[in-house]
Amino acid sequence: MNMAWKEMKKNKARFLILGSIVFLVSLLTFIISGLANGLSHDNAGLIKDLPPGQFYMTEDAEEMYNLSKINSETQDAMLTSHENAVALSIQLGFINDESDKQRSVAFVTSTDTDLFEQVSSGEVILDRSLEEEGIKIGDILTNNQHHGTFVVKGFVDQKKYSHAPVAFISTEDYQEIYRTSEMQLIFIPELETAQEFTGLQSYSNQEFLQTIPSYSAEQMSLNMIVWFLIVISGMLFAIFFYMMNVQKIGLYGILKAIGVKTSALFRMMWTKMVVITVIALGISIAGSQLFNSLAPNGMPFNLSIQTTVQLSLIFLLIGFIGATLSGIQIKKVEALQAIQQGEV
Amino acid sequence: MELFAMEGISKTFINGELKEDVLKGINLSLNVGEVTALTGASGSGKSTLLTIAAGLQDATDGIIHFNGKNLTTMSSEQIRKIRASEFGFVFQFAHLVPFLTVEEQLLLMLDVAEIKLKKIEKKKEVNRILTLVGMDHRKSSYPSSLSGGEKQRVAIARAIIHKPKVLFADEPTASLDSKRSIDIMVLIRDITKNYNITTLMVTHDEEMLKYTDRVIRMVDGLVFAGSN
Ligand SMILES: Nc1ncnc2c1ncn2[C@@H]1O[C@H](COP(=O)(O)OP(=O)(O)OP(=O)(O)O)[C@@H](O)[C@H]1O
Ligand SMILES: [Mg+2]
Repeated sequence: MNMAWKEMKKNKARFLILGSIVFLVSLLTFIISGLANGLSHDNAGLIKDLPPGQFYMTEDAEEMYNLSKINSETQDAMLTSHENAVALSIQLGFINDESDKQRSVAFVTSTDTDLFEQVSSGEVILDRSLEEEGIKIGDILTNNQHHGTFVVKGFVDQKKYSHAPVAFISTEDYQEIYRTSEMQLIFIPELETAQEFTGLQSYSNQEFLQTIPSYSAEQMSLNMIVWFLIVISGMLFAIFFYMMNVQKIGLYGILKAIGVKTSALFRMMWTKMVVITVIALGISIAGSQLFNSLAPNGMPFNLSIQTTVQLSLIFLLIGFIGATLSGIQIKKVEALQAIQQGEV
Repeated sequence: MELFAMEGISKTFINGELKEDVLKGINLSLNVGEVTALTGASGSGKSTLLTIAAGLQDATDGIIHFNGKNLTTMSSEQIRKIRASEFGFVFQFAHLVPFLTVEEQLLLMLDVAEIKLKKIEKKKEVNRILTLVGMDHRKSSYPSSLSGGEKQRVAIARAIIHKPKVLFADEPTASLDSKRSIDIMVLIRDITKNYNITTLMVTHDEEMLKYTDRVIRMVDGLVFAGSN
């Protein structure tokens, strides 16, 4: 007989309350996690969408890529030894639109590659977010440090860096704006273990993301909230089941006296926990996916099914641990003391 | 050999410095088809003896023979199995499961005793026992809506539905008024006779002794034959 089910049927209100709390906490967790992911794309979509590989900057730049200047011999040597390696530079700057309004962008230039957009001198490819702000293909843009103009050739999706839309420009134009002939970074895709190059320091994609100052701060605080919520939900389970178990000490004692196995009592508790969590998570996944599709365009929200499923599994695990810890009392109950206690 | 017998059972409780010899070497064998009443002053050790007999706590010394086996040397899992399938329990309070209907309480006991029957046969059996205790009309009620006497009838039904060999009852009538108490006593006696059960019952109510077959008095940690 399924006692857990019978109990939940009889005490609907109690379990509905627990279920709604799990639902609310998990929904909040999903939404914050979606926001963390969205913000991380908004902050570093340019880097996040790259295949895994290794970044190199000079050692003396001390993790600040914009202080890195890789000399041309090293660059040539690396690009020849690794055929898909690419040298690139990223600098935050301004571009003026046709009505002379200044807009902040991240200028990006690279040697020939499929990983970054390529344009010829006097042209620019922009992140889609600028199109939404009214810039059109064919518009003429200018920069105060540059003698010429940039014709907008096109737009690309999800190319952001440090929350600024990326502007892909040619290497000549970049060198003119920033008065430099060296590139800051070399990226070698599909290089799993870092290879040593003298004077250069290597970073995996993830390590490189951490060198973007706002990135790690933002992600750390959001991820901390997510973990906090997960821990809270685990504690909720533990406390809730603890209270329910304490009320039932007498009943558990009697059931043990008439011969019910302790494992059966645990199974009863786990069933309740799993049923409540799965239903609450199901609703919460549906809710967060709905939010994902309805979230306004400007809102950096990006929640994949994969993340939700991963978080859900963690919720289940934490709920299981919480309920089990509180269930240790079940193991300790003596049939005898319950019988002598009187009516349950 | 008897179905159930205790030999030299002693029990000492140790509370810090204090040692209390509650049972001092009890020999008692129970007769099949009889209600054996255990009576005596409060604190004389009746409940202690009954719970030791039922395998709910260990004796300090002594042997318990049940059906040719020695309970005192068994593992707790072996004793649990015996409690589940060969013993029945009734206590002062009915201790029913609050979220199960009367019918479900009994179906649960059949599951616990691992009685292999088809669902429909289990339900038939439940009906039969409920009719026996006069509770068939409250089959789908929850315990909270039953009176004390009705709950106790259901508890008795739960204690015998799996056809136990031994029925243990500790003050089953203590929470009931005298008319209901007599009903319950008659019920226990009839069931003991009709199903050939061995019943050990604790009571301190002298009135109830009339409805038992044999009276054992506990004095100072020992048992003496008494009269009803
Ligand atoms: N777990 C225990 N620890 C210590 N002493 C105990 C314990 N259980 C029982 N006792 C003592 O053993 C003695 C007998 O108790 P028991 O409950 O068997 O009495 P009883 O005859 O059933 O009494 P009553 O008629 O009041 O139910 C009492 O003095 C009691 O204090
Ligand atoms: Mg007692």
